Amino acid sequence: MSSTSRGARTALAAGTVAALAATLAACGGQSLEDKGAAHGKGGGKGEIVVGSAVFTESKVLAQMYSKLLGAAGYDARIQTLDNRELYEPALEKGQIDVVPEYASTLAEFLNAKTNGAKAKPVASGDIDKTVTALKKLAGPRGLKVLPAGAAADQNAFAVTTEFAAKHKLKTLSDLGASGQKVTLAAGEECETRPFCKPGLERTYGISVAGIDPKGVGSPSSKQAVKDGTDQVVLTTTTDATLDNFGLVLLTDDKKLQNADNVLPVVNAKSAGDKGIEAALGKLTDVLTTKDLITLNRKVDAERLKPEEVAQTYLEAKGLLKK
Amino acid sequence: MSVPWSLTAAAWPSGQVPADPGGPWLPQAAAPGGADCLVANDWICGAYLRTRSHELLAATVQHLGITAASVALGLLIAFPLALLARRRRAVAGAVLGLTTVLYTIPSLAMFALLTPVFGVSVAVVITGLVLYSLTILVRNILAGLDAVPAEVREAARGMGYGPARMLFGVELPLALPAVVAGIRIATVSTVAMTTIGSVVGFGGLGNLIASGLQGFFKAEVLTASVLCVLLAVAADLLLMAVQRMLTPWTRPRAGSRSGGRRTRATKAVA
Repeated sequence: MSSTSRGARTALAAGTVAALAATLAACGGQSLEDKGAAHGKGGGKGEIVVGSAVFTESKVLAQMYSKLLGAAGYDARIQTLDNRELYEPALEKGQIDVVPEYASTLAEFLNAKTNGAKAKPVASGDIDKTVTALKKLAGPRGLKVLPAGAAADQNAFAVTTEFAAKHKLKTLSDLGASGQKVTLAAGEECETRPFCKPGLERTYGISVAGIDPKGVGSPSSKQAVKDGTDQVVLTTTTDATLDNFGLVLLTDDKKLQNADNVLPVVNAKSAGDKGIEAALGKLTDVLTTKDLITLNRKVDAERLKPEEVAQTYLEAKGLLKK
Repeated sequence: MSVPWSLTAAAWPSGQVPADPGGPWLPQAAAPGGADCLVANDWICGAYLRTRSHELLAATVQHLGITAASVALGLLIAFPLALLARRRRAVAGAVLGLTTVLYTIPSLAMFALLTPVFGVSVAVVITGLVLYSLTILVRNILAGLDAVPAEVREAARGMGYGPARMLFGVELPLALPAVVAGIRIATVSTVAMTTIGSVVGFGGLGNLIASGLQGFFKAEVLTASVLCVLLAVAADLLLMAVQRMLTPWTRPRAGSRSGGRRTRATKAVA
């Protein structure tokens, strides 16, 4: 081995290490800067981070919030977080500033967080009472609850069209009266949640033989009902893919479900000003449940991008200039 | 409450929307033919690639950045740890034990646990991945250094090599195949694990996989997964090429000794 070639190799190795280090410094530096900026803007105006969960409706709502805030002069960007367990604490800390939320679900989430998992439910079918309860729980955590609109995404139960036709089902009461024993594709928590298995049994007299824990409104849950493995699936009123699985919703005629109206929740310190409330209020005022279904359909069935769907909706409603 | 389920695409709740549903609502899907596979939810869909090329590219760049930063940082931390472990055998047990314990923390839990510390940032994902890479890297570096024949060390010492020159001039080059093997395993596993960063929104292609699974979007899931596999394979081949270039003595000799070898190595990298 000649000393020159070894020298060349050493130089090459050193170069590789240096390049790696430079990449590293660039990446690391950037991330730290981002973080610094995120913290720096905590008290300021300017930048607003809109939190989004990973499901379609949340993505579209976050896009619309971000666009409206952008139009109102804020520097808005979207940060996706997997679930409420992650984004709610981030919202309290001001790492994110605004989240599209659901009145009852958030009220019960905060209720469980504050008063323990077995706390008495605070949410009900009455949206005003639910929002009042939510405000009481959110305030001490530094969260500001903005007014709720008409659009709601409630839990709902669906069966196949054949099953509904065979047993003449339109409502959950019909299902109770039919005396059918059903297995329910839902989340594990359905076993204990008042709106789920206990409510179906007590309020509607439906005999739930068992719960198939495939997730709330997940494709596998819907597929299980389509295949006949399960008979009923727990999903939401704004589910746009029910048609694809040949499913229909049964009406919640005895108002078992809570008032899960869409509302913006903000960090009171970093995003509590009137400008944000006014910008988001414009959407809350016009958005309806039907709109949510259509928006979800655009993304989940027609496969348009959430960003474009949000833009077109806002333009169509005159909330955003073309 | 009753919700009309047979809403057609055009059925807007108010008259404010232009009657033509194809106009404002179908910016790309309006293109004839191509978008059918999007609506049909096919696994392989050209229209998906066309309409989402920007987000695919952005996700791939983020994926590469997170992986590169994690493995590089992991290497920078693992190297001194391995040296420390080699110097003192008591430390070796502690270092290897600790990095192995870190490796057993479920990745979903790791990112959830790190979020309160780092906030919602890419640092959460990189820190998690660095911690995971340590056990592979430390063990391989240590194994490589241990495998250096004692006679070689003695000979070097006899030629007047000091500790630093011994390490960088003799031991490390000889340990390189094992070290690079470790880096390759760490890189491939990091490419795969980066996807889990999607829980905090920094998962590169994982963001698309998670979103596709949630929305039952087959083309999104498959495309992002395939890209992820391609990234892993490409990174592995690249590292293998780098190793072959850095350690020409491990290759079976073929052809002339000087000229041919170097051209081949350059080609492999390019």
